[in-house]
Amino acid sequence: MDTKELEKKYGKTESELFSFAEYHPEEAEKTGYSNYSYWGSVVRNFLKNKPAVIMCVIFLAIFIFSFFALKIGKYDYTDLRVDNKLKFTSPNAEFWFGTDNLGRDYWCQVWYATQISIKLAAVVAVGEAVLGIIIGLIWGYIRSLDRIITEIYNLISNVPMIIYMTLIALMIGQSFFIMAVSMTAFGWLNMARNVRNLVIMYRDREYNLVSRCLGTKVSRILTKNILPYLVSVIIMRLTMSIPGTIGFESTLSYLGLGLDVNTPSLGILLRNSRSYFLDYPYTLFFPAIIVSLVTITFYLAGSAVADACDPRNHV
Amino acid sequence: MTKEPILSAKDVEVQFSLRGNYLRAIRKCSLDLYDGETLAIVGESGSGKSVFTKCFVGMLDKNGKVTGGSILYEGNDLAKYKTEKEWRQIRGKKIAMVMQDPMTSLNPLKKIGKQIQETIELNQGIHGAEAKKQALRLLQTVGIHDPEKRFDQYPHEFSGGMRQRVVIAIAIACKPQILICDEPTTALDVTVQAQILDLIRSLQKELHMTIIYITHDLGVVANVADRVAVMYAGQIVEIGKIDEVFYDARHPYAWALLSALPQLGVKGETLPTIDGTPPNLFNEIKGDAFAPRNRHALQIDFLEEPPFFDVTPTHKAKTWYLDPRAPHMEQPKSIQKLRDGSDNRPAQKIVHPHEKPDREVLLEVKDLEVKFGNKRHPFVAVNRVSFQVFKGETLALVGESGSGKTTIGRSILRMVPTSGGDVLYRGTKINGKISKSLNEKIIRNCQMIFQDPMASLNERAKVDYIVSEGLYNFHLYKDEAEREEKVQQALREVGLLPEFASRFPHEFSGGQRQRIGIARALIMEPEFIVADEPISALDVSIRAQVLNLLNDLKAKRDLTYLFIAHDLSVVRFISDRIAVIYRGQIVELAEAEELFLHPLHPYTRALLSAAPNPDPEIEKQKKLLVYDPLMHDYTQDKPFWEEVCKGHFVYGNRREIEGYRRAVH
Repeated sequence: MDTKELEKKYGKTESELFSFAEYHPEEAEKTGYSNYSYWGSVVRNFLKNKPAVIMCVIFLAIFIFSFFALKIGKYDYTDLRVDNKLKFTSPNAEFWFGTDNLGRDYWCQVWYATQISIKLAAVVAVGEAVLGIIIGLIWGYIRSLDRIITEIYNLISNVPMIIYMTLIALMIGQSFFIMAVSMTAFGWLNMARNVRNLVIMYRDREYNLVSRCLGTKVSRILTKNILPYLVSVIIMRLTMSIPGTIGFESTLSYLGLGLDVNTPSLGILLRNSRSYFLDYPYTLFFPAIIVSLVTITFYLAGSAVADACDPRNHV
Repeated sequence: MTKEPILSAKDVEVQFSLRGNYLRAIRKCSLDLYDGETLAIVGESGSGKSVFTKCFVGMLDKNGKVTGGSILYEGNDLAKYKTEKEWRQIRGKKIAMVMQDPMTSLNPLKKIGKQIQETIELNQGIHGAEAKKQALRLLQTVGIHDPEKRFDQYPHEFSGGMRQRVVIAIAIACKPQILICDEPTTALDVTVQAQILDLIRSLQKELHMTIIYITHDLGVVANVADRVAVMYAGQIVEIGKIDEVFYDARHPYAWALLSALPQLGVKGETLPTIDGTPPNLFNEIKGDAFAPRNRHALQIDFLEEPPFFDVTPTHKAKTWYLDPRAPHMEQPKSIQKLRDGSDNRPAQKIVHPHEKPDREVLLEVKDLEVKFGNKRHPFVAVNRVSFQVFKGETLALVGESGSGKTTIGRSILRMVPTSGGDVLYRGTKINGKISKSLNEKIIRNCQMIFQDPMASLNERAKVDYIVSEGLYNFHLYKDEAEREEKVQQALREVGLLPEFASRFPHEFSGGQRQRIGIARALIMEPEFIVADEPISALDVSIRAQVLNLLNDLKAKRDLTYLFIAHDLSVVRFISDRIAVIYRGQIVELAEAEELFLHPLHPYTRALLSAAPNPDPEIEKQKKLLVYDPLMHDYTQDKPFWEEVCKGHFVYGNRREIEGYRRAVH
């Protein structure tokens, strides 16, 4: 490019253009700064998955609506009365979901049961997470305990869960509390195994050697160095566990091994409708549709969250 | 050169899409390749050297594409190729590629021979016994002994160098016209590297190939290349014959790159460094990409991109310095020194700490032994090693991968249990079972700097936590304010801004991350530091920064280093004494210059002969020595560790030691 053109383009004289510029060391130190943030990318990736967002909205809508539904319903669950004259009333303006075999309003029963099922699933998920993460971390990190915990794991996991549940239901009893505790007591297995496998993967990474070299205590290494790396997997397990628990509870209750009859869950309602649904299909239809919606939407939304949490997908 | 180029890339542009942004990896890059030559492309990581050549074989990653320019080869424009079918006519048959890591480019579940045979069957239409015969011949060609037996082995039964030979055999199976070698020896030891380079050279003659070498190691370039292209920020900034680029470089980046080499540094002086890091290619680059890091940039460098100026018909550089209107720029001293071939030994004699009369032994290792594995299959990683480290010195421990050098460093810091011998710190035994208070004392006084800055920082913690981890562990602060003050102090000391404390590691470049790692060790105020290959994972321009920093800190804080490295030529600049280790055993230990002048043990000699030197003249003359441990006859005459002359120890038997003594005197 000749001098005139350059001078015109930048409004500087030739001697100016070809003189030394000032040197700013801080300009050179400017990094290849990346604006990547982990949680920002998680949210962005999740929002990109439109079907999952819709599923998530549906799930939340059902859960929130279950509270309103009890408010706007004409009957309250606590003062339901047996009235044989009203039994098997088809859905109408008075009984929006009809009545059951004892003439009680089905609307409030279904929504109350939805809440119970979701609550149970949430309690079990939290219990599983706490127990599973703690045991998994110790299992993976402390080599001397590896053998013992592995054997315990094998012992528990090799007997089908349905047998434990049957025994508990028959010998201890049936209630929300017992159900929550017993499901947690077996649910941690998967979480712990997942966590343990990952801990073994991260355990000998160089940054953990650094911490050992700095004299960091094991508890701090586990919570500060390793746990943050496991977030995506823990979230994934949790989102799998919630629909799983709801489904499993329904199955158990349907078999009569789950909650007691006085605590209605979706499984209990399904079990009750078993004998009548050929004549009165709505008794099966309403709880079934809600179980399906809750589990499917949560599962799809959850696996999308898990995908979004995986740093490998943050491209 | 009047010859027609066989491949001609013109104004090639490559973009990658990443998280919704576009990264301009190659910015209008042109290159002519001539028949039968060896062209080396040098550049730091991220300069686009690999990406550029991957365009020639259609092997860009999924999110990248050629967005402009042309690549003419045999009358076709490769830049327009889209389908795999089109590429299969070129890839492997006409242009083949050898990748960096032989571990990942071979299928671990298939026999070596079958993998070669498959390539032949796929590309040449020969099948069965005929193809097998050819595969066996190929194995022979790439220097694998006993190919019949090796044919039926799996990749894990091969050493790294052997695997790379197999990869090369696959690449040349179809007698390609052009062979692209993408850092073919970076993952290998120096002695193996030299052998592979020799192999590629002889294959080139035999098969009449044109070779493109991609590397960041200027020593390798000096060894192999006819022509050199220097790449920076997605562009070739200087290209010319090897002598022209090494002895008469014109681009300020090429100057900086050559000057920053530790091999050319003078001990006791600081290395010339390049500040900062290469630009972020997500941003629009205006003018000369190197201008912000150039201490003597012209104003026009920030405004207008320079064109190529011819220095000679074969040598051109893309810098405004060559414009007749620009002020005259003197080439830096180190380039002149390289040209004149003058010695870079220190002008005056430096007194090393171990030569001082009041020398003080800080650390002593006596008959150290470390075993891995179980009782039935023990593996001796460190075999009765003894040495002393004097206060204030830098002792380098040099050896190839698997020699046990890192294990020694780690066992001193109690990260690996020892199975025999003593480690004495200021006379106190610190290996084996020790009291809690002594353990704490060791941790606070002895720290470690790790090799890979990418792996040694906790990605999910802020710099503030990373640096103050040691403070937390022993509660070495009164209150929060004092801790923050200490962190900022440490960051400033390693040349980082105090406000970096609130950021996460991924926001930093390799060199900056390594400095964070150093700050983390320094905050404990140690007096002894084990530096485990602290620069081998860094780019050339960054290495100098870190080496200077280590030397500064040593002077300022009176530190003592055990510097672990695999490259002899690099440690010459930084260390007072060098110990050479081979298979868990130290074979030679001497003052650094002494070791270079009078290497005694055959292994040291082999290592020195293989070390790449960034001077084409020296590389042309060098003769490769190969060390074979079977040359020692230790059946009758047992070997021992002996001081041959003052401060120079060698491992050998009586007869050998006598020979060494004669050689010294």
